[in-house]
Amino acid sequence: MMYETVIGIEIHCELKTKTKMFSSAPVTYGAQPNTCVNEIDLGHPGTLPSLNKQAVKLAIQACTALNLEIDPVVRFDRKNYYYSDLPKGFQITQQFHPIGSSGFIDIETSTGVKRIRINRLHMEEDTAKQYHVEDETWMDFNRAGTPLVEIVSEADIRSAEEAMKYVEKLRNILVYLDVTDGKMEEGSLRCDINISLRPIGTLDYGIKTEIKNLNSISNIAIAIAEEEKRQSALLEAGVAVQQATRRYDDVAKTTVLMRLKEGSVDYKYFPEPNIPPVRLNADWIQTIQAELPELPDARKERYLNLGLKEQDVQQLIQNKALSDFYDEVILHTKEVKLAANWCISEVMAVVDVKTLSQKTYRLDLKEFGAMLNAVGDQTISSKQAKEIFPHLLQAKKFNEVVTDLKIEQVSDTSILEAVIEATLNEQAQSVLDFHGGKDRALGFLVGQIMKKTQGQANPAKTSQLVLAALQKRKPE
Amino acid sequence: MTQYTPDTFKLLAKQLRFELSDEEAIDISNEFEVLIHQMNLLDKIDTSKCEPMVYPFEEETSFMREDVVEQVFTQEEALLNAPQKKNGFFVTRKVVL
Amino acid sequence: MIEHFKHKASVQKALDKALAYQPKLNAMVSFLEPTSQLEALKAIDPSSPFYGVPIVLKDLVNMKGSITTGSSKILENYVSPYDATITQKLSAKGAIIIGKASCDTFGMGGTNMTAATGPVMNPYDLTRMSGGSSGGSAVLVASGVVPMAIGTDTGDSVRKPASYCGIVGMKPSYGRISRYGVIPYASSLDHVGFFTTTVKDAAITLEVLAGRDDKDMTSSNRPVEAYASLLKGDLKGQRIGILKNVIDSIQNQSTLKEFERLCQKLEAKGAICVPIQLNEDLMHAFLPTYYIIANAEATANHSNLDGLRFGVQKEGDDVEAIMSATRTAGFGKLLRKRFVIGSYALFIENQEKVFRKAQKVRRLIVEDLKKALSQCDVLMAPASSQGAPRLDDQSADQLSSEYLIAENFMALGNFSGYPSITIPFTLVDGLPVGINLTASAFEEAQLLDIAYGIEQVTQWADRTKELV
Repeated sequence: MMYETVIGIEIHCELKTKTKMFSSAPVTYGAQPNTCVNEIDLGHPGTLPSLNKQAVKLAIQACTALNLEIDPVVRFDRKNYYYSDLPKGFQITQQFHPIGSSGFIDIETSTGVKRIRINRLHMEEDTAKQYHVEDETWMDFNRAGTPLVEIVSEADIRSAEEAMKYVEKLRNILVYLDVTDGKMEEGSLRCDINISLRPIGTLDYGIKTEIKNLNSISNIAIAIAEEEKRQSALLEAGVAVQQATRRYDDVAKTTVLMRLKEGSVDYKYFPEPNIPPVRLNADWIQTIQAELPELPDARKERYLNLGLKEQDVQQLIQNKALSDFYDEVILHTKEVKLAANWCISEVMAVVDVKTLSQKTYRLDLKEFGAMLNAVGDQTISSKQAKEIFPHLLQAKKFNEVVTDLKIEQVSDTSILEAVIEATLNEQAQSVLDFHGGKDRALGFLVGQIMKKTQGQANPAKTSQLVLAALQKRKPE
Repeated sequence: MTQYTPDTFKLLAKQLRFELSDEEAIDISNEFEVLIHQMNLLDKIDTSKCEPMVYPFEEETSFMREDVVEQVFTQEEALLNAPQKKNGFFVTRKVVL
Repeated sequence: MIEHFKHKASVQKALDKALAYQPKLNAMVSFLEPTSQLEALKAIDPSSPFYGVPIVLKDLVNMKGSITTGSSKILENYVSPYDATITQKLSAKGAIIIGKASCDTFGMGGTNMTAATGPVMNPYDLTRMSGGSSGGSAVLVASGVVPMAIGTDTGDSVRKPASYCGIVGMKPSYGRISRYGVIPYASSLDHVGFFTTTVKDAAITLEVLAGRDDKDMTSSNRPVEAYASLLKGDLKGQRIGILKNVIDSIQNQSTLKEFERLCQKLEAKGAICVPIQLNEDLMHAFLPTYYIIANAEATANHSNLDGLRFGVQKEGDDVEAIMSATRTAGFGKLLRKRFVIGSYALFIENQEKVFRKAQKVRRLIVEDLKKALSQCDVLMAPASSQGAPRLDDQSADQLSSEYLIAENFMALGNFSGYPSITIPFTLVDGLPVGINLTASAFEEAQLLDIAYGIEQVTQWADRTKELV
């Protein structure tokens, strides 16, 4: 029996605000326990919620980028349940009137572009963090009350690949909007997968399993593969899949049963009486939408138009801190392709993402641009540039470094010609290859000469002279 | 849920994270008789063309709080009333995931 | 009167009196040492309306550093880590808070018999109840200990005890006074209210307490008027709607006779008494509507009481057990009953039938009230059918019209959020009975003005019942 995998994904994303969703205590990461809370976050008797305007703004941005319809009246509800990480004994959420509904994103898969519909985006508040220490649980309420948006897709996803692409793209969009820092490892972006199987060709949904605790995109694929195996084995054996929640175990690389779902939980939802409906000003919404930061797709277009290779574009887009850096570098150089290569390889090798995004690097981008320009018009070679670069990272100036390192170029024709002759003699096959129409042979020969001259041969001149020499050795 | 017994109320209490004694559960289900009669008075009223009223005044508001840090406890203030605490954390027995 | 408490010795006198009366009235939950407040007074303008005046807060109101129990067992040891907005407002105007007053636990009751510290007695007759839930606050004003006490009113919890204790009890419009820092009962019905011995003092108090608070998103942006200076008391041409449904359901003939006499006196002063009939079926539905909405909201509001971050924690093998033991011991029988009934209404199968139905009936009640108030300036009726019941009185027939209507009609003010005030008007069998007035939303100025006019007719102002 051939089964089709049906997947829906729920994403919880922490918003990058300074204060909590309903209180003016700060949102931080890694602070001392219970130092970023006030009476509201601890659920003290008598406290009342106060809605964070910035959180609403970021939610509006997210809705816009995800093509969701925005409800201009903000309404909240109570989701009632008891748990040690839920200080009020209810969560303030938007059950009945999500701020965004009926949206979509388009993902690129190996089989083409696919539209994944998004059912809703709503605002809610995060819970406290708990640590299990032997037979105790230690609670830190710093995270309690942090603004969250929950984004729920329709069950349009059909494979692990699609799931990964969906989460990747969604995450990227949210990071580009600066709505979240999207760090799955830190928990600022959390992903729950609902997965079920059904015989191919049928329309009824199978019983679904919910998988939680997926803290990386690669784990999503692993978890889905495991679940597909597990569920199809059950179905093949004629055993029904039980509706359950499973936890992804990062060590065992498999899913583990957390709890069975006996019917649906009754959260006794009712409208939050302490927050009257808030009418969002239409002009305000429009301004937010008009001033939306550049999204990944738009940036991709822009990079392709610059003439960058698809592969390089992908690498840049995937890492916003890097491509923001790249955008600044190309203000200082015309060598857009070269700059892309350098950013992706050399820069990434030595500068970490944190330094890039916080702009705490000592590299002067003007100097970096100058260096790239020099490589571009072949005043210096790539090899020489690689020697120079570490010094630029120490905030040194390009011309000074060139002088200090005595970066010379051998441009003397007679010297070069001698080396060229020797090389062409050694590389008779390449000469033949060149004349046989293999253009790459030229580059190879130039490379050999660069090697012999320890990278000091002037690349432009060298190319010129090698070509000339090759012409002289044309076979009859 | 038109059928109710003392056990019904015991179950409700459990969901609210407290216990009812047998005696209490019986007492409540007796009182419930009166309550049911009072609630039936609601049935006499035609609410078919009517929306629920959640807030006494149904004016939309526009106020939203600016994203500025204002009120924060010190760790000491946060833990002031904690029945059990350790190293800056609230402590309790192991929680079932 | 507030004015009489502005002398230097008044705070100590109030404390001494509260202490002396405590064995008989049992109105206080805790006493506060006033030294630091008196110290802070030095920085306050002496012309402030409550300068150096002793007051009490209902023990639902947070005051940083004080014990705030909600008159419950579960919060017996709770030290407020923050101030309610009203606490700050009162302190800023010089008020000295001498202690916390007893109430029905978490405001949930009408007798003050459910307080963890025991029942509160009525100064007019110590075998009778104060009424509730703000019973402690009421008797401390009625017995002359303090000139003003803060209460809360969710169904009639200020306006009923005011009637039983022969004092002024006011509940302004919903959102007129910030609820931030006040332990809730039912969020959509709760109001901060207060007790005084005169209408003028009520106006002064309202001016201090009222105003927008951004920490309470339901609080009103409307400007606060100069209620005290707007008092004229001229009843000429004022249309006073007499709530016939209440009159018709009262059994006590003395109450009815006195009320009739009052109406005649008011008409003699130029007021126009207009008979108003609200929908009788709706009026019978007040109590269950109130009960369902209030208890459902209350159940959710008190889900934070799990003993993990504050409160009296009881032992258990795991977290669930700890929560359960804590809540079982901490809530007490009556509260447990209310919560169970409250959650019943929110049960998913029932919500449409019960909770939402009650919310729909609420709307109809308010619409009916609105119609009535379009024909008059205020609605008036006796605030209780007779004087305070005895402490052990179980006689009320909870399905009778008198119980449903006469004893529970003031919930009108909570369903609608309209301002409402009880002022004393007579003694029936030696016990005070008040009249209740309700006006349209944010018409506090008019409401107080008419109350002031009526007070001049009843000649009942600034009266206290001291204990011998």
